[in-house]
Amino acid sequence: MGVFLPIGTRKGLFFVRSADGRSWEVEGPLLPGWSVYHAMADPRDGTLHAATNNPFYGATTHRSRDGGKTWERSEELGLPEESGLKLNATWHLEPGADAELWLGGDPGVLFRSDDGGETWQVNRGLLEHPTRERWQPGAGGMCTHSVQLVDGTMYVGISAAGAFRSEDGGESWTPINKSVAAEFMPDPYPEVGQCVHKLLAHPKQPERLWQQNHCGVYRSDDRGDNWERLDGNGLPTSFGFPLALDSDDPDVAYVIPEQSQEHHFSAEGRLGVYRTADAGASWELASEGLPDRAWVAVLREGLAYDGAGNIYFGTQNGSVWTAPRGGAQWTEAVRDLPPILSVEVAAA
Amino acid sequence: MAVVLLPAVLAAEAGGQKRFELDAATVGEALRQLPLQNLLFDETGELRRLINVFVDGTDARGGRLLEEPLTPTSEVRVVGAVAGG
Repeated sequence: MGVFLPIGTRKGLFFVRSADGRSWEVEGPLLPGWSVYHAMADPRDGTLHAATNNPFYGATTHRSRDGGKTWERSEELGLPEESGLKLNATWHLEPGADAELWLGGDPGVLFRSDDGGETWQVNRGLLEHPTRERWQPGAGGMCTHSVQLVDGTMYVGISAAGAFRSEDGGESWTPINKSVAAEFMPDPYPEVGQCVHKLLAHPKQPERLWQQNHCGVYRSDDRGDNWERLDGNGLPTSFGFPLALDSDDPDVAYVIPEQSQEHHFSAEGRLGVYRTADAGASWELASEGLPDRAWVAVLREGLAYDGAGNIYFGTQNGSVWTAPRGGAQWTEAVRDLPPILSVEVAAA
Repeated sequence: MAVVLLPAVLAAEAGGQKRFELDAATVGEALRQLPLQNLLFDETGELRRLINVFVDGTDARGGRLLEEPLTPTSEVRVVGAVAGG
């Protein structure tokens, strides 16, 4: 079983590989000096793409067509001057239809590239969204961190702005936040302003969406028109960031709850992955092999799953953990990397 | 020819070249010849806030910054601002 994990860290990109799923090799850091908020290998041609940020030199993307030996930086990436906005960070890369590539960024923006990441065009539908003046950046900024394309429909999740759906290729966006709480707002159920932490659509049941939100875990069975809150069903807290699914079973999801919005570490002082196998009706702790006493954070891009159901996550203290489908037994594949920002699974 | 010296991250982005010899009358003219435009300048054309430029050892932010004049023997050093402990 060959595994290849591009791991984005605060101090560059690392490749974590295993030929057998038991022994692991680390290569890196690549792109030293850059915080890699997300990195992935495009399944269409194997090109590696990274959302790269540096406190001095700004937000950009890098790509490599030779497995990470050499890298090119995007040439055109920024916001139009008339918007009055500046690009604060690049957050998430997502392959789209045909040759298109999508990039989510802060402040609540989305870009499209038709040349493999060399140049990027801002999505006007989100940039000029009529509700934008009601989006209020939170502690993590206002990042477009979730970009999903399923069955011809696009979804984005934006922290402190909410979830949005487009059925015309990104020309226009409909807020889909009904019944999703924004307990930090004067109106706890506004049209927009919810703080989505991660949003995923199920690849084989495209009308089913999941989100880990600032205020709870939710599932929708109608493409986001309505949401059901699921965190009263066995989760220790409602707060957390990462989310993973099982590509074969739409009723399975994984979250890693944190203590609270004030205390960003693993809930109840243990590193626990919680799994539902009944669409969120109940959650069970899957922590065999994980440390019982731990105060660890796993960020929104830090949890991934592959087509075989294996799950992987990376922690802020630099460990990568893996488990086969179900999460029954966890193994620490790698430790002592820099703080991990993202984990992805690529073709080995 | 003025000389521009880059820190490691920028040199890596410039194909590994740390030292550039350029014909430029001002700091702005020199920086705009480097293959690093979107790293040095934001989308409004402003020099990024945490980039400092020293001309012959003097902070150009204390002078005319991009309009700071250069001579053929000037040494321009691009430096990330010191932040934190």
